[in-house]
Amino acid sequence: MSTPLANAGRSPRQQFELSIGGVPLRLEMTDAQLFGAASARYAAFAGAAAQPVTIALNEGAAPEGPPADFDYEFEGAALRVFSSEIRFDGVRHQYALDSLLRVLLSWKLLGHHGFLLHATTVIRNGKAYLFTGRSGAGKSTVASLSPEGSVLTDEISLLRRENGVWRAYGTPFWGEFRAAGSNTSAPVAGIFRLLQAAENRLEALRPLAILRALLPNVLFFSAEAQANRRLLEILSQAATEISGYNLAFRKNSAFWEVLPA
Amino acid sequence: MSAPASVFWQKNPALAWREIDDETIIISPNDSVMHELNDTGSFLWKNIDGRKSAAELAELLAENYEVAPDIALSDTQALLEEMASRKLLVTVPATRGVSP
Repeated sequence: MSTPLANAGRSPRQQFELSIGGVPLRLEMTDAQLFGAASARYAAFAGAAAQPVTIALNEGAAPEGPPADFDYEFEGAALRVFSSEIRFDGVRHQYALDSLLRVLLSWKLLGHHGFLLHATTVIRNGKAYLFTGRSGAGKSTVASLSPEGSVLTDEISLLRRENGVWRAYGTPFWGEFRAAGSNTSAPVAGIFRLLQAAENRLEALRPLAILRALLPNVLFFSAEAQANRRLLEILSQAATEISGYNLAFRKNSAFWEVLPA
Repeated sequence: MSAPASVFWQKNPALAWREIDDETIIISPNDSVMHELNDTGSFLWKNIDGRKSAAELAELLAENYEVAPDIALSDTQALLEEMASRKLLVTVPATRGVSP
């Protein structure tokens, strides 16, 4: 979904529309190399519903002006959200673009009753199983042990509450498994905190324990109190409404036998 | 160092918090630190509104938990100081007479 835009006197701006977790976005940029990389990287997520959020990528520094509603800097690149526009300034490579997109998405999802979670998501029998935990707990192993095509993401999962139902979406953000991410969603069966163990065993968690398990793994980048209150409200609802478990995990595929159907 | 008696206690306005399973989870967005309050701490937290002194909060605690007033006061003061040391609470000058 790419279209060159007229822009007299400079390289043409090109645009790429994509949708992540149902959030429609439009990237506009003049850097042909970056455009090519982004188009390939987000190909599975191409296309957007009506009225996508336009993100203008600008090569130079941001102009002086009023303070942004939300901003974030990453290795010389900057995200700035104003009421009239969203700018990514100083983005020179795909990695920076990817990072700023995650940050923006984490912020935009507050308005969609959703959040981003460091977790592998696997679809089984039409339901999404989310596996989270510390680095090294086994998230990538779960992905590698799952049938091809069933992994929505092995790095960053997206959860949204829609019509009273929590759904997990794939994202294009890669992990070790380097699954490209699948642009589909499924209702959430449960959230499983992986703990390395000698045997596979499941322990149901109370909402408080689920919230404790979620918080260190949620991606969020705003220090603004109101945004954090909204995030905590969303997470508390998720912890109350989604079943959560500790999964003692032996790092073999037999773990599915102890999971709820 | 104890706060003077003529102050009211107020939640740090920069925080986000939520009660779940009778406990309170507090997030400090500036440093991404998570704090948890137990049942008693949650009770105090709910009643801290920038308009009550330690003595008034202790009175509520004594009534709710059927604790002797002197024990409630010392417990309340200890909890308030602990929460203040974690930057969860701030004090504001009392705007009316407060019993010592």
